Amino acid sequence: MIWQNIQANLPPIIVVALFIWVLNRSRREVLWAEAYRRLRKNKLAIGAIAVIVLYLGLVFLDSVSWQATKSAEPRSAMDALFQKPFENSYSAPLASVTSGEAVEHKLGAKHILGTDSVGEDVLYRVLKGMRTSFMIGGLSCAIAVPVALFLGLIAGYFGKFVDDAVTFLFTVFGSVPDILLIIATVMMLGRGLFSICFALGISSWIGLCRLVRGETLKHRDREYVRAAKALGVSDARILTKHILPNLLPSVIIAVTLLFSSLALYETILSYIGVGMGPEAGSWGNMIDSSRDELTRDPIMWWNLVFATTALLVLVLSLNILADALRDAIDPRLRTE
Amino acid sequence: MIRYIIRRLLYMIPTLIGVSLLTFLLFFGIFSPETVARRNLSAKTPTQEQITTWIKEHGYDKPPVEQFKRHMDSLLRMNFGKSDKTKEVIWDRIHEGALPSFELASLSFLVTLGFGLFLAVVAAYLRGSYIDSVTMALAVVFMSIPIVVYVVGLQFLFGKILKYGPIAGYEPGIWGLRFMVLPVLVGLVSGAGYYVRLYRTFLLDETGQDYVRTARAKGVAENAVLFKHVLKNAMIPVVTTTVSAIPTLILGNLVLESFFGIPGLGSYLVNAISAQDFAVVRAMVYLGTLLYIFGLILTDVLYAALDPRVRLQ
Amino acid sequence: MNRTGSLRPRILFIVTLGLGLVGCSNNPNPPEWNEDGTWYGALAADLTNLDPNVSYTATDGVISDLIYPSYLHFNYLKAAPWSVEPNIGLTEPVRVPFKGVTHTDKGDIPFEGERWDFELRHDLMFQDDPCFPVGKGRPVTAKDMEYSFKRDDNPKVEFPLEGNLSDKVLGWKEYRKGFEKNGNANYDQPFEGFKTYPENPYKFSILCNQKYPQLKYIMAMHFTTPVPREAVEKYGDGFKLFHPVGCGPYKLQEYSPRDKIVLVPNENCTMATYPGTWGPGVPEEARQDAGKKLSRHRIVVKIIVEPVTSYSLFNQGYLDTTSVGTTNSHFMLPATKPGSDMTKRGITIQYGAYPSIDYCGFNMEDNVFGGYKLEKKQLRQAIALSIDSKAYIETVYHGMGNPSEFIIPPGLAGYDKGYQNPYRQYDPSLKKAKELLTEAGYPNGVSKKTGERLVLNFDTYVESPIDRARSRLMTKQISALGIQVVTRDTTYPTFVDKTNHKKIQFFYWGWVADYPDAENFCMLMFSQNVSPGPNNTVYNNPAYDKLFLQMQAMDDGPQRNEIVKKMRDLSVEDCPIIYLSENQFPTVFQPWVKNKFANPILNDVLEYRAVDSKRRQALQNEWNAPSYGLLIATLVIVVVGAIPAFQTVQRRRGRTVRKPAGGEKD
Repeated sequence: MIWQNIQANLPPIIVVALFIWVLNRSRREVLWAEAYRRLRKNKLAIGAIAVIVLYLGLVFLDSVSWQATKSAEPRSAMDALFQKPFENSYSAPLASVTSGEAVEHKLGAKHILGTDSVGEDVLYRVLKGMRTSFMIGGLSCAIAVPVALFLGLIAGYFGKFVDDAVTFLFTVFGSVPDILLIIATVMMLGRGLFSICFALGISSWIGLCRLVRGETLKHRDREYVRAAKALGVSDARILTKHILPNLLPSVIIAVTLLFSSLALYETILSYIGVGMGPEAGSWGNMIDSSRDELTRDPIMWWNLVFATTALLVLVLSLNILADALRDAIDPRLRTE
Repeated sequence: MIRYIIRRLLYMIPTLIGVSLLTFLLFFGIFSPETVARRNLSAKTPTQEQITTWIKEHGYDKPPVEQFKRHMDSLLRMNFGKSDKTKEVIWDRIHEGALPSFELASLSFLVTLGFGLFLAVVAAYLRGSYIDSVTMALAVVFMSIPIVVYVVGLQFLFGKILKYGPIAGYEPGIWGLRFMVLPVLVGLVSGAGYYVRLYRTFLLDETGQDYVRTARAKGVAENAVLFKHVLKNAMIPVVTTTVSAIPTLILGNLVLESFFGIPGLGSYLVNAISAQDFAVVRAMVYLGTLLYIFGLILTDVLYAALDPRVRLQ
Repeated sequence: MNRTGSLRPRILFIVTLGLGLVGCSNNPNPPEWNEDGTWYGALAADLTNLDPNVSYTATDGVISDLIYPSYLHFNYLKAAPWSVEPNIGLTEPVRVPFKGVTHTDKGDIPFEGERWDFELRHDLMFQDDPCFPVGKGRPVTAKDMEYSFKRDDNPKVEFPLEGNLSDKVLGWKEYRKGFEKNGNANYDQPFEGFKTYPENPYKFSILCNQKYPQLKYIMAMHFTTPVPREAVEKYGDGFKLFHPVGCGPYKLQEYSPRDKIVLVPNENCTMATYPGTWGPGVPEEARQDAGKKLSRHRIVVKIIVEPVTSYSLFNQGYLDTTSVGTTNSHFMLPATKPGSDMTKRGITIQYGAYPSIDYCGFNMEDNVFGGYKLEKKQLRQAIALSIDSKAYIETVYHGMGNPSEFIIPPGLAGYDKGYQNPYRQYDPSLKKAKELLTEAGYPNGVSKKTGERLVLNFDTYVESPIDRARSRLMTKQISALGIQVVTRDTTYPTFVDKTNHKKIQFFYWGWVADYPDAENFCMLMFSQNVSPGPNNTVYNNPAYDKLFLQMQAMDDGPQRNEIVKKMRDLSVEDCPIIYLSENQFPTVFQPWVKNKFANPILNDVLEYRAVDSKRRQALQNEWNAPSYGLLIATLVIVVVGAIPAFQTVQRRRGRTVRKPAGGEKD
């Protein structure tokens, strides 16, 4: 049993380890070390990073789980800390009885942010939504970024036929409405986190690919690339060792913004009915449920307000971080 | 220039074929012809014979390659035929939906852009002041709220508390513009933030250019520098980013259209997707692609026209 | 400083303009229509088909039944039990038994058939339409009924209830084959099951090869309305939506897809009157017009997909009732509880009875949960006992509706009021459920054999907040047994597809009656109706089937009820279905609506309702006084906040800088 539990928890641990390794590694690079120094001076950015780290911590808590026996359901650390027994129905934040029911029921526990339609703690749902948000952002980027990088780099670098082919590909994908692409993919693969991420991934690589292609085009004719070519360095090496590092700053900023827009997109998916499943913690679903709740008397505002706040804080922090990174990495782009 | 345009137009053909192929594959990847037939037949429990007849009638029984050829053939002639579901002539619906869609899209686009540009100019002009910081902070905050929240929230606010203007519906004509107030406002608050930030960057980029310094050094009035030189030159990236956004407007705004009951093309397409009406989906996607590519060409041409440094080849 | 002064009028101008633009009336309806008694309704979905022989959704029915009247119709003031009365029929149908023989290859088989005789009213006229000579409507005769009936039999027309008639009406199948051979020419061939009489152009008969009591309900649906052949031939596919031609009280004036439908009175129709008889529980208010001729007015039906929008428009008084389409009306329930703001304003809600139920079902062919062995039955019974109908009704229907014990809802003959389903008596301690689960081999939800937790795959469609709440509630309740519930949620079309192919394990579904007869519900477990038919549990019990065939040919009565009881006892023990709720379809009325009565089984309710325009106008004005406070406050903040900016602009005007750019601070 212990072995199975360790196995189940490997992916999040590996992801965290990788993350730390990359951060550590990059600190040794000159360009990045300089950027860190500048970033540290930006108080707003530090705040944003703190928020993101806090969110990541909570996501990690929700990602490590423990299964006591073979027949028990696995519970994440988050469940152990925040899950509360179900109540009967809605209840306002900090209330002691349910609201909206014909006969009010006494609540079994205090719910700081109230409870939702099936009586589940809203704070717990909000916290559960973080993992979904990060998974959607992360996985979609994990699909979109490599594709965009690869296609963009080869298109910009080799030009000619390759460029035509890649341009053709992203014009085609770019012309099909996102909504059709996403609905079709979700219907084809069935619902669930992975098909949503796949759908978002294939609809969001286009913008990034354009950017990478454009940047590569600029760098292709720079002296350092020409010099490397003259020295007989292979194309693959030039792309990965010389051009790619120069693109990374703008790619990282673009990815940060992509991540935040994907988190926002989740709400639209819920609204059009191809979002996360009912059991999953999802801010999109919580916001969508407010369509039903705002028309009630008394108004059930807490799902909408708290889910929106959680999402707002995340997206805001990501946007601030992206700005700060832009300023830190490339002082020429400084706008203030 | 003309040669360039002709070449781009020729490039359009493979793209159109590619898009149609993608739509075709997506659609029939999900739904077997039988499923589509069942969904489009009105009978409660259609008999096998009815399903077969339906599939045959709509040509979905032919081998995929031949079907695709047929689709491509009719699409290239802009002959969209009739809806699989309701049998209405698709062109009629497109004619009807185009105006509301265009009205909403263009109004919301112009208002958002105008307001965004105005704030960007204000912020750039007063850079470093508290108005700049407040504007930029608000821009980021407004960008970070999902559109669904705006839609639900503003409709609730206007409908239940403020009671200004109708909350949903559509009417053609000048008086019908009042129906656009709320959707345009939603478009504005959710979209302006992005443009404010983008345009401010363009403006400040221009302010840093040598010619601006020269002008200032020469003693040109500060306001004149901004409005005559900076603004004029910053308009190049403004226009090109703007034009490149136009194609995405053509299919209308799905969320706004369906929420505010505007009978435009966006809601037409979405209804068709959920009703599995392939005839409509392929026509709409094809039309969208066509306009999208025209938009791209227009962007390039405008870019060349505005910026003498750029030459089309 | 003088220049700053000139800014003030400008600001004032902008403020007034802003207020003027935004503060314009929020009434989306044209003012002149507000006064002439125009009725404002709404549909939750766009029209799909108005062709009377095809149209099947409740939303289409609202429009098509105003244009296409049927021979019989439901009395507006009689609900649960419902009653059908002649509408365009002059007389009640007369049923005459006869003996006949079917000729088959193996010889002649005798049968005891039934002939139904009908006679149309003599004063019926089609609406004026360009498809008729000179554009004037012509009189309606039995020939038009015949044409309509033959259309039902045409496979290309796609009559939805074809399965109900095909094995009962004489010559139905043969005539159907004729269409494959002769195409539309077949309409000129005689039809064995439909007889017209040269001596009386209004008389016609339908011949069945068995007793078929439900025919009266088929004759109360728009599938059997008179259809003018001229219109179908002239308009072709256009007959489906844009050019309906009927003889009903209203005709279509305008249809703009995804926007609205406008109906105006059909001046050629003189027959409709308000019902003169009523059932128990009809309020005094709804009886004032009893027996009088109906007042006619324009009807505007808006298509509003988004429930919040429909709610807001209703709340502002710009819709006279809630929209048709389930979710949209249920939206109104919490807001119309006693003491709420809406009820204080005089808005009333009526819970209209409607024969319909919600249920969960097991796929009886499933390896784990299906099958007819005792332990499988116990397993299903245990799960049934874990679901609390009351909580379901509270969460999904905001407390409206009643727990369902068996498939037949109240108001139908065969409904047993006192019956308590032994596996639907919820007990929070789940004692009996757990016992049954143990007996089935899964103590606490863990398999005795393998030691693994039992997994139940819940197949459902999830597209709206209510769908999500419902699905989570099911999971919450069934998990209490220790069973792990996995929700396999899909979109609605995919779910329908999955049920048709039996790729489901445990599912949620509802059934809305075609007509108020127990047969229409009991057939959900009839083995000949298995998926893709309506029997989605794929329940197959020969004993049940035998009883079903017996009861379907019987008229309502104690004998039939006895058979239904036997069917019930059989199926409840097998437990393929978990009954959740007997539903109601609420209608919310504005205070100015006349003849308020909710009877959702009628599609043409709008025919009977009217508005008091003066009162409507007054209340609309009262409810929609805009509040400018917030707007002014916002403007003040913006203006005050911008003053320093204006000052800066003034200061910089004409100023020159000789400093390098970027080094400048204000």
